Amino acid sequence: MSDVVAARDLSKWYGEVLGLNGFTATFGPGITGLVGPNGAGKSTLFKILIGQLRSDKGDVRLLAEDPWNNVPLKRRFGYCPEHNQVYGWMTATRFVETLLRLDGLPAADARTKASDALELVGLTKAKDRPLRTYSRGMRQRAKLAQALAHDPEVLILDEPLSGADPIGRVQILRTISKYAREGGHVLMSTHVLYEIERVTENIVLIHNGKGIASGNLHAIRALIDKHPHAVRIDTPQPREVAQAVAGMDHVVGIEMSTADGLLVRTRQPDAFYRELPEIVVDHGLDVRGLESPDDSLEAVFRYLVG
Amino acid sequence: MAFAQTLGKSWVVTLLTVRYLLSTRRVIAMALFAVVPVLLAGSLALARVRTFDILLFQVLMVPLFLQVVLIFVTLVNATALIREEIDDNTLPYLLTRPIGKPAIVVSKYVGYLGTVLILLIPSVVLAYVITEAYSGVPIGSDADVLGGFLAVTVLGSAAYGALFLFISVLLRKPLAVGLMIGFLWESVVGSIPGNVPKLSIIYYLRSILKGTIEIGPLTGFPTDVSAGLAAAILVLLSVAFLVAAMFVFQQNEFRQKA
Repeated sequence: MSDVVAARDLSKWYGEVLGLNGFTATFGPGITGLVGPNGAGKSTLFKILIGQLRSDKGDVRLLAEDPWNNVPLKRRFGYCPEHNQVYGWMTATRFVETLLRLDGLPAADARTKASDALELVGLTKAKDRPLRTYSRGMRQRAKLAQALAHDPEVLILDEPLSGADPIGRVQILRTISKYAREGGHVLMSTHVLYEIERVTENIVLIHNGKGIASGNLHAIRALIDKHPHAVRIDTPQPREVAQAVAGMDHVVGIEMSTADGLLVRTRQPDAFYRELPEIVVDHGLDVRGLESPDDSLEAVFRYLVG
Repeated sequence: MAFAQTLGKSWVVTLLTVRYLLSTRRVIAMALFAVVPVLLAGSLALARVRTFDILLFQVLMVPLFLQVVLIFVTLVNATALIREEIDDNTLPYLLTRPIGKPAIVVSKYVGYLGTVLILLIPSVVLAYVITEAYSGVPIGSDADVLGGFLAVTVLGSAAYGALFLFISVLLRKPLAVGLMIGFLWESVVGSIPGNVPKLSIIYYLRSILKGTIEIGPLTGFPTDVSAGLAAAILVLLSVAFLVAAMFVFQQNEFRQKA
């Protein structure tokens, strides 16, 4: 199969600020992670791919087509934006169903597929609640549902795990993996390398609007293992969570920064993300969200960029 | 088949727009504004004002309804159609669907028009009925007055809506410019001599009233434009602004707020 995305010398200016700076890369079939710190140009690239922005220079193709004002192409991809805004007054069912109607599905089919998509992302019980009552993680899952409900060829996911709770993260990653196993292609951006690791070995690194490396994840990961990975946990029970995670032997530091969260540093982030949900459930803890400052990734980029 | 599909999708956007405009807290303020003519007519009737009749109704409805209520309701709703979706970061959900940008603009405009007319027409009709009932005349006695004000409500909503929609896709802060046009230009331009008043929407709305109402103070409006011609001009203006909005929207990029 030809490349899902082919970008050549792509540049985009926001006034005097350079969003993309001669970005050149290709994304093949399967799951590809676009990894870079905040402000690297990940969202800019995705917005060009979905036709929301137009490049100032260079060339880009999504499924071998120019995405700008390309109405038929929009049937072939699903997009999950980074921000958390949705039509808050709608229920999740109505939200997904309405967007499926805009994909051309008749009302009855849209209803069925909306229900299936919400079940896939684990929102069956909450599907008839207004979206404004959803937690951040639930909104992420609702956004994912609307992105994949119409069976697109490609999913373009901008920071899909941002702010999601541990259960939500597992659900989202499981959904992405299942989608890819069934033949779909996924472009997924993140500023946390270890999020990508759960689902793929193919990554493209972006920094200051440029593609700086692409290929196998493990070689790149080895570069940052010497740096502890920071994870911020949002919880109304910081002391209890701190006590629970202190028992993990790869945790090297815990900072109780605020009354509603704590910062954990770990030498084995994959083990941390894998073990945390079980600890949360076993101790009956209330964890509202996980976020990763990109300190470790900055170290990698400093190494790669020089 | 493709055309039927586009129509179907456009209808979905139209319904989405109507639900959106009627579901936010803004609709409460709009509804309160819209019933001002009813409240005024009711107050005059309750206070048993001797001079309250269909002539006074005409005199009050121009400054109150045409120049305040109509402009305010159309301005707030039309500028929200696209600009609020941009500011609320919900526009990508529509832009990433297989429906053309011009179709989105037209569909939202139709939804706007339906919503605004739902708010305004009952108010005009009810204010008229209260006036006639208080005067003790049959409801249909001054059907020309009711017809005239219904016509300007529909055509004014269409024209102002298209204008404000165009401004909102062109500018980041459309409300300020819309307020200046709606409450400054439209009020002041009538007193400028020559043909300058013809550069306002209110001129053609008042020409329609002059042409449709047989007896009353509004028949003295200085215009050489017939009601039919005024209506045609307003329709043309609506179409022109709508097409301009479609063109600008098609070419625009949309950067989301962080």
